[in-house]
Amino acid sequence: MTLLSHRRLSNFMDLERMRQELLSLRVVLTKSIHVCTGPGCAAKGSEKLYELFCEAVENADADVEVQAKGVGCHGLCEYGPIVIVQPGEIFYQRVEEPDVPEIFRETILRGRVVDRLLYEDPATGKKAKKAEEIPFYKVQQRIALAYNGLIDPTKITEYIAQGGYSALAKVLSSMTPDEVISEVEVAGLRGRGGGGFPTARKWRSCREAKGSPKYVICNGDEGDPGAFMDRAIMEGNPHSVIEGMLIGAYAIGSEQGYIYVRNEYPLSVERLRGAIEQAKELGLLGESILGSSFSFDIRINRGGGAFVCGESTALMASLEGRPGEPRSKYVHTVESGLWEKPTNLNNVETWANVPHIINRGGKWFAGTGTEKSKGTKVFSLVGKIRNTGLVEVPMGITLRRIVDEIGGGMRDGKRFKAVQTGGPSGGCIPAEHLDACVDFDELTKLGSMMGSGGMIVMDEDTCMVNVARYFTEFLQKESCGKCTTCREGLAQMLYILDRITKGEGEVGDVEELGNLAELLEGTALCALGKTAANPVMSTIRYFRDEYDAHILDRRCPAKECRGLFRYEIDPEACKGCGICLKNCPEDAIAGERKAPHVINQEKCTLCGTCWEKCPFTAVLKV
Amino acid sequence: MSLHRSTKGLRKGQPVPTVTIDGKKVEVEKDATILDAAKKAGIWIPTLCYHQAVSSDASCRLCMVELDRGEWRQLVTACNYPVRRDIVVHASSERAQQARRGVMELLLARAPESKELKALAERMGVMQTHYPTVTESQRNCILCGLCVRVCEQIIGQAAIGFAGRGVDRTIAAPFRQPSEDCIGCGACAAICPVGTIKVRIHQDKHEIEISPFKSRAKLLVCQECGEPIVSTQVSEQLLRKSKIDWEEFRERLRFCPKCRKSQSAARLGAATVYKKQ
Amino acid sequence: MADEDKLIEQIVDRYDAEIGMLIPMMQDLQAECGYLPVEHLRRLSVQLKIPLSRLYAVATFYASFQLAPKGAHEVTLCMGTVCYLKGAPRISEAISREFRVEPGGTTRDRLFTFQAVNCMGACAVAPVMVVDGKYYNGVTPASALDILYGLAKDKATAENENEI
Repeated sequence: MTLLSHRRLSNFMDLERMRQELLSLRVVLTKSIHVCTGPGCAAKGSEKLYELFCEAVENADADVEVQAKGVGCHGLCEYGPIVIVQPGEIFYQRVEEPDVPEIFRETILRGRVVDRLLYEDPATGKKAKKAEEIPFYKVQQRIALAYNGLIDPTKITEYIAQGGYSALAKVLSSMTPDEVISEVEVAGLRGRGGGGFPTARKWRSCREAKGSPKYVICNGDEGDPGAFMDRAIMEGNPHSVIEGMLIGAYAIGSEQGYIYVRNEYPLSVERLRGAIEQAKELGLLGESILGSSFSFDIRINRGGGAFVCGESTALMASLEGRPGEPRSKYVHTVESGLWEKPTNLNNVETWANVPHIINRGGKWFAGTGTEKSKGTKVFSLVGKIRNTGLVEVPMGITLRRIVDEIGGGMRDGKRFKAVQTGGPSGGCIPAEHLDACVDFDELTKLGSMMGSGGMIVMDEDTCMVNVARYFTEFLQKESCGKCTTCREGLAQMLYILDRITKGEGEVGDVEELGNLAELLEGTALCALGKTAANPVMSTIRYFRDEYDAHILDRRCPAKECRGLFRYEIDPEACKGCGICLKNCPEDAIAGERKAPHVINQEKCTLCGTCWEKCPFTAVLKV
Repeated sequence: MSLHRSTKGLRKGQPVPTVTIDGKKVEVEKDATILDAAKKAGIWIPTLCYHQAVSSDASCRLCMVELDRGEWRQLVTACNYPVRRDIVVHASSERAQQARRGVMELLLARAPESKELKALAERMGVMQTHYPTVTESQRNCILCGLCVRVCEQIIGQAAIGFAGRGVDRTIAAPFRQPSEDCIGCGACAAICPVGTIKVRIHQDKHEIEISPFKSRAKLLVCQECGEPIVSTQVSEQLLRKSKIDWEEFRERLRFCPKCRKSQSAARLGAATVYKKQ
Repeated sequence: MADEDKLIEQIVDRYDAEIGMLIPMMQDLQAECGYLPVEHLRRLSVQLKIPLSRLYAVATFYASFQLAPKGAHEVTLCMGTVCYLKGAPRISEAISREFRVEPGGTTRDRLFTFQAVNCMGACAVAPVMVVDGKYYNGVTPASALDILYGLAKDKATAENENEI
């Protein structure tokens, strides 16, 4: 491939020519093995699979035209590691190392499908050969994740062959900055990081602001626990972010961009770094891009480990070498941001949508979604659901479809209790509202928010008061500590919730939580503080009975809070095997062999070891 | 961190903005804040972390007022909200007062031993707090940051700063050791609104100590009477910054104000006075 | 003295002494030394001409910075929502109990530094524990302790070999 790589593209025709060359090469290599190396599959060892496949390709006979590549997150992490074989888009799931030779022999060499590795629908037993036959994928519409799973993110040639950077070429050769902003405005794109601010409006304000230089930032500080959408995009298709930023910078009049990646995502940093280098080599970043008068460069900064740096002004403080403290936003960052210069900050997923909007038009984009929320949204669907992973769906889809059709329903036969959306700034939505449409505004009316896209499904065994306590503790740890309200208010809220979950709640606690919530919303300095009470207030709104049980009856209905339930051995189920007795750290269990054992409640510290270890499920939570 | 000000809405020749605050109309100059307008209108808004000598961070959240946005009202901090066009402010509305009272109650729980804070609270009508004290670190410090800002922006030493994050945040010298950059000027103690920072003079050792930062500095003592005057570093800074080469200036620095006065008096007394013939 | 100066000079040069790159500079320093030593920070303050109090504020604000030497191994347990719901607190307790180390601290014998992190983005395979960059998914209190005992065993074996 020496004729294509390391050659600077000096104009738009060069780019097109390069794509044609790449595509013609592709026709020759019809067979390929795509191994998912996204976060979920990598954690299950898919990188080793990739190595093994590469070896197999190396050792194959010369007449076998096949390649193996590592690709970004497909989404169905629950069934990972995922391997897709072309031709035929054959979708193999839960692939293990011993399967590699079989797949190579049967599918690549003999064109046969390995049946046992295909996805089987748990309800119907039906096997799916291609991804699109699987309900998880059927409902999805992939724009931001379009190339995830198709391209090797470490090779810019793959992105270009797929059509990458053609939007940039179109913009630089035939559109004025105002035209670019208008196209994004027609699309109706709104920020995907949680704020939902109209992107075109932000770009326009920044363009019109006085001051120079202007900066463009990509917020890759995905801190919401349970969310890994941005990670999948940064690692699976880093060029989509770069191309988006290039287009935005052109529209705004900026020559310097930053990508801020949270410290806990070193692979994202690596992939982005590699992508930037390759883009520079081809002249897609740097001076006089594609022969035009537009120059743009990107730097990557790693975070230091602070959730609050996802807030735009805190992020900018971090980029200035200061602690990540937010500041008042009475003067917007588009006017005075990084180094007090006009700055435009957008989320990873927002940037990833931009090239598609340019290529296919704002009208096309606006054809999906609802009246005020256009396009699609990537969600990370996790928790007590059968199919966990990443999904991209049109805005306006109901929660029920996501949980049932895509998620495949609850796992372990448990009952649905709530779905937590929007991370620590969001809230819990109960079963009665499952038909709510997911978009920027609907969920907010219900006391939650769509946020950055994290969706955590909870079942009947989850104590909602404890969920509120968890998020409050999280926010207290991550609060920057600058403003009185957030720092002291969250400490007071946590104090109350701690007491409640320990069985020391008092009448009036719920009302006090409400007062603190109001104070937080009205007087906190930044969005972290302002929305901090959402988890607590939404759980009080829909699960007040659980709070009352904790406070008035000293009982945890979900049997999660220690001290508010007990362990008892069911004498009918107990086989007297003695495993619990042997493992109890407090010697609190007594019993003869083959006779039902009994727990001494006074000695029991509720560690739960017996409950975990009992092979006959004879230990009950009461 | 400087105030983020924009003069976008105010150009030369354009009329100055008017702030209608609790019904009173006042005109303010460009870049003014709601707090400036309130002062001009004679309306008192309690503040803690605000001081005209240093930048405003609005971290204490005490000066909350309601900004009228037509269909709704937004709670904003008066000390750093920049006035760029005509606005209407409700400083004494029920909601604004409630917000301020709530914040003050949180502060009282944080700093239960500060007399100054209690006095301010009473002036606001907050006699006590119903919140328990739940934070352990650095009691009685409300983390307003005035000491940090004065040391950095006015004195230029930046001897102390914030340490940590969130509820365990404190104000400390680097590595919690006595600061090497502290010159013992006591500006931090002077600006602290809750009386947490104290200046202690150790007569026997001729040292000045700033607590709780554990910084100690040697004091210059009067050559005449032995009373401590000011820290040696401050006097050195004075000489450095004022660029006076006048030998007598150096001489005079070695005496305390009282002795200096008596010396001047003696000199005057000994001076020969010529009478006009 | 000279070594510290040299390392700091290298790092400062790498980023053209830009104050905005302070955090990457400190990350490089920590990668080199294992933590942020006081003397190095002093040099950095002098070379960049920013007050030491600012460096200290930054070093203590961000969770990834350590001001004390770390352990031989780095153990990170995810406490994100999904991992939490799937039992991460019990794992954390078990580790604290067995090895007498709190999250954020290092074991007495410097075997490992134990960190609790809020979400590593691998929620689909919760609970997640990372040891020296290697991911372990679906851990339980028992399996987590096993992994850590393995580290202790490796250390003992290495020490024995050294002695021989």
